Amino acid sequence: MEKCIGIINSGINAGTYGTLCETRPDYMLPYGGRYRIIDFSLSTMTNHNISNVVVYGGKHIRSTLDHLGIGQPWELNRRRNGLVIFPPVYDSDLVQPTNIATYYKTLPFFEYSNLQKIYMDDPMTIIKMQMDEAYEKFIEEDLDVLLFYKKQIDTEGKYLNARKMTVDNDGKLLNIGLNLGTQDEFNLFLSKFFIKKDVFIKLVKEAVEKANALTLRQAILNNKDKLKIDIYHIDGHVEVIRDLSSYYDANMNLLNKDIYHEVFFDKNLIYTKSKDEPSTLYKDYSRVNNSLIANGCIIEGDVENSILFRGVKIGKGTIVRNSIIIQKTEIGEDSVVVNVISDKYGVIDDGVTVVGHPKQPYVIRKGQRIRKVEE
Amino acid sequence: MRNKNKVAAMLLAGGQGSRLKAMTRDIAKPAVPFGGKYRIIDFALSNATNSDIRDIGILTQYKPYYLHEHIGIGSSWDYDRNYGGLRILSPYSTEAGGRWYEGTANAIYENIDYLDKIGPEYVLILSGDHIYKMDYNKLLSYHKQMGSDVTIAVMEVPWEEASRFGIINIDEENKIVEFDEKPEVPKNNLASMGIYMFNWPTLRAALISDSKDENSKHDFGMNILPGLLNNGHPMYVWKFDGYWKDVGTVKSYWEANLDLLDPNNSLNVYDKSWRIYTRGKNLPPHYVSNNAIVKSALVNEACEIYGNVENSVLFSSVIIEEGAKVYNSVLLPNSIVRKNAVVYNSVILDGIVIEEDEVIGKENDEHVYLISDQGINVE
Repeated sequence: MEKCIGIINSGINAGTYGTLCETRPDYMLPYGGRYRIIDFSLSTMTNHNISNVVVYGGKHIRSTLDHLGIGQPWELNRRRNGLVIFPPVYDSDLVQPTNIATYYKTLPFFEYSNLQKIYMDDPMTIIKMQMDEAYEKFIEEDLDVLLFYKKQIDTEGKYLNARKMTVDNDGKLLNIGLNLGTQDEFNLFLSKFFIKKDVFIKLVKEAVEKANALTLRQAILNNKDKLKIDIYHIDGHVEVIRDLSSYYDANMNLLNKDIYHEVFFDKNLIYTKSKDEPSTLYKDYSRVNNSLIANGCIIEGDVENSILFRGVKIGKGTIVRNSIIIQKTEIGEDSVVVNVISDKYGVIDDGVTVVGHPKQPYVIRKGQRIRKVEE
Repeated sequence: MRNKNKVAAMLLAGGQGSRLKAMTRDIAKPAVPFGGKYRIIDFALSNATNSDIRDIGILTQYKPYYLHEHIGIGSSWDYDRNYGGLRILSPYSTEAGGRWYEGTANAIYENIDYLDKIGPEYVLILSGDHIYKMDYNKLLSYHKQMGSDVTIAVMEVPWEEASRFGIINIDEENKIVEFDEKPEVPKNNLASMGIYMFNWPTLRAALISDSKDENSKHDFGMNILPGLLNNGHPMYVWKFDGYWKDVGTVKSYWEANLDLLDPNNSLNVYDKSWRIYTRGKNLPPHYVSNNAIVKSALVNEACEIYGNVENSVLFSSVIIEEGAKVYNSVLLPNSIVRKNAVVYNSVILDGIVIEEDEVIGKENDEHVYLISDQGINVE
């Protein structure tokens, strides 16, 4: 797939993640004990030899720049092509900073590139992609667009408001709307597709000219009768992360052994920035059950059904349950932490109880210190 | 800043470490895994990085493949530089034919051209066999302060063990007066750590004259250092009092790994101001199941623990199945302990599988078991 440009762009709904997206874009949310959500997109590209990857930065670009650097962990530090990060677009000519607007402002890059195909990826839909055959189909059938979807069974409403693809009896795309849960099985649009570069450029220009689309998806649907479009089924475990509760669940699902193996080992590995953390140390009094633990932690207390990121400290006599404890959080002694998401560098003092609700975990802000209340 | 105190480090990494038995059958001793996620050479390399030494040559000879792969271009230690940085120096052939490195000093002598090209003021000789953390800048400033030609890092060893080491006798100003190689009756307990800071011109001349001596073993400890002392060069010792280990045998290897379980061990790999760097493997976090018991253990990425682990060190991708019990053991990457097996006091090598219900060792065992694809070796 060397002839392909990868694009990573995501929705701008940072407000739905509590305080977790105050300083970072949604695709920089920590995930799976040592990763950021964007690592899954980047690793998919790397594992398919897509070496020219474009990341749209958005408003909070600092953490993105810090994490991506020159792209070395994903082998994107290349002489030819490699990683490209675009800063956010501010332009009074365009009504609002939509995806289309950002593409339009960066069109010269695509026009000058000698690569002719684009793989578009929304990182907030996570699935282990295997798309070599899909790419062959895209090339051989000379398609303009090839959209990825998955037949998803959903009786619990886990995928409510995800993108739903409707197709006719011949399997031809009719439209993409929202899943309102009216069927137990529906076609989940994975928000990933191949598109020819010249088609992409044409659609973006038309959308700006006619102001008839805010996203590339809309622009494609506006032209679905003129374009040669097909769809392609991908199997596997899908997470659609759109808000705090789906973010929390997506992390917690990794405690399922099968999902853990599929997400981390099947087909290929996930790459991320190394932090050179030493081994995790379990002390004499530690009790850990059904948990994912990254390196560099020091554990003296009880940890259950939880995910500990790199460099977390859990003090003696402390109980941590059903929680996501992000990098470098330090929890003191004899505390109780249940249904909590603690952001980076959080501190929980000795003897503190913090309890959230399973459907609405309590979020500790980045760097926030929770002190004991003196009665 | 760059040309001041120019130090070039030369790291001797050709050692075989034959007393480690099966552990070094396929790899050089510096490449032997240690401490859950490192290889032995990582300690000296990280010390060099943290001491801001820009140029380092790594002399390899014995089974270097894994070592070369591990080091790569040195990027894990920030040694991928535009010029200088890290170079792997293997034996080579010339018009006069090919030659193996014949001794520690000969290995440096054969690379005089490399050192001349760098043009250092000081050359620091290191060994890739030792586990320790040291700021080489402290050694250098002492070396300069004393006006020394050669400064040797030493440490106090227990008196009863002193006769196993190269002992150095000094006057009250730390000036070296005599070398005592494995003395039966040691006069003191200062042992050489095999870390030498030389003025380059002094070393260069000594290497050239040693190369012409047909009776020489071309060894630093046996030939070069005593020779310089006899010629009246000012030589001093610099006393080091931190953690230092030369894991010579399987038992000492096993002990040194388990030492790290003491949260107050003086190696402290958790110290962020002096990180130990290594080639990352890019593996996911490890998983501890519902019925697992993990106590007093070091555990690494991609391990899966369903049984009991106590007082043990697990490298990456180790699987402990349900009902299995592991005590006082060191498990190298990708090893598997199957259901209901019980393991005491073992060092289990890379990729080895302990079968279901198998029992190795017993409680309060005095022995250490090395488990390789050639079976079990008792020490």
